[in-house]
Amino acid sequence: MSRSPDPHGTGEGGGREGHASPPPSFDAEILALLPQLRRYSRSLTRSDADSEDLLQDCVEKALTHRAQWRGANIRSWAYRIMTNLHLNTRRALARRPSLGIEAAETTAAPIAVSDPLERNRLVQALEILPKEARAVLMLVAVEGHSYQEVADIMEIPIGTVMSRLSRARQMLRQTLQEENVIHLRSPR
Amino acid sequence: MSERRPVSEADLHAYADGFLDEADRKRVEDHLAENPEAARMMSDLQAQNEGLRNAFAPYSVSRASDAQLVAGPSTTAKSAMPRRLTMAAAAAFIFALGGLAGHFIPMAFEKAPTLTAMDALPQEASNAYLIYASEVRHPVEVFADQEAHLAKWLGKRLDIADLKVPNLQSVGFKLVGGRLLPVADKPGAMFMFENEAGRRVTVLVGRNGENRTTSFRFASTGGVETFYWIDGDLGYAVTGDIPRTLLQQIAEECYRQFPS
Repeated sequence: MSRSPDPHGTGEGGGREGHASPPPSFDAEILALLPQLRRYSRSLTRSDADSEDLLQDCVEKALTHRAQWRGANIRSWAYRIMTNLHLNTRRALARRPSLGIEAAETTAAPIAVSDPLERNRLVQALEILPKEARAVLMLVAVEGHSYQEVADIMEIPIGTVMSRLSRARQMLRQTLQEENVIHLRSPR
Repeated sequence: MSERRPVSEADLHAYADGFLDEADRKRVEDHLAENPEAARMMSDLQAQNEGLRNAFAPYSVSRASDAQLVAGPSTTAKSAMPRRLTMAAAAAFIFALGGLAGHFIPMAFEKAPTLTAMDALPQEASNAYLIYASEVRHPVEVFADQEAHLAKWLGKRLDIADLKVPNLQSVGFKLVGGRLLPVADKPGAMFMFENEAGRRVTVLVGRNGENRTTSFRFASTGGVETFYWIDGDLGYAVTGDIPRTLLQQIAEECYRQFPS
């Protein structure tokens, strides 16, 4: 994402109401990123509660460390914060049993392509992945980052991105095959 | 061809993730055609990707508490800010948002006055987008070649004296046209814009009755994003299936241009 030097509101907003206005674009951009960060957070964690905790920690950290943001890619920066928080923090493990993804059914309806039963199996299979490999897979498959972006976010060489990605996918394949689910799209 | 590179595992991943250019896609497809095991793996990878995206897509939503979350830990003072001050910080943040886009009245906590009829605005905007933006021949009632008539007609129906159609050329979108439609049970206006790639966005304008509160929010439903705000007695919604930063630029541009 390119950030032009154009600060929002120079045109008309200067000095309104005597507020020494902080650069508003930072908060606004974090706010705009929240839905995708919420999705990423949920894809890393085992429950909605853990996910919201991680999201809150991430936002808090982003705001308190805003000075570290160099004006480059705020999206990658926010993803890096969340990834590090997740990898470095030992979260309350069995705070509640893994509920799978049922909760999702009550929120917005996605375009349901795959069988929900098999989707649950897939999501449950994520639990076997090492945290790092899971993060890489989610960044690529769900969040749509390029391999280079993932390397930047996780601060690892791109070769490591590829090997973690490969490992995660291989483990998922194996697990799903063991459970006799080979193709998610297959009729049965 | 012998000069073609052999297909590596990394190529297979990049193919599944859609990162290859056409030549490399062809190279991988030829490989898959000759290697059933690789083809099975590809099919699994694609199914995994699709399954994971579907599983987590429902979480990509804005919540009403998001603004507070961002404002919460203090944007002005340092970490040790007492809880009761967070409201003030939140207000400051909303105010800062106002600075971003023009001149908003601070507001937007969950306990703040509800938006009544305008609650439905993002949903209506997203519905209108889904229904009309996909129309090939009749996306609008009045096309851009009659822009002056369009503005005059919709201005009259909405009782807005000098309604102007926003000009979004600066962000790469040109007017397709507009139509009359119900917004919050009253006559409302929809303008549609299109960029060179054919991506469309819609801008909805509706009467906001007696409600004078103002807010500035995102909503996201089924992959369609809406950026909406209420300014005095008018409500606005900008909807599209485009990156949110771009949608925000468009919203800011509209805000700047619409009379308040």
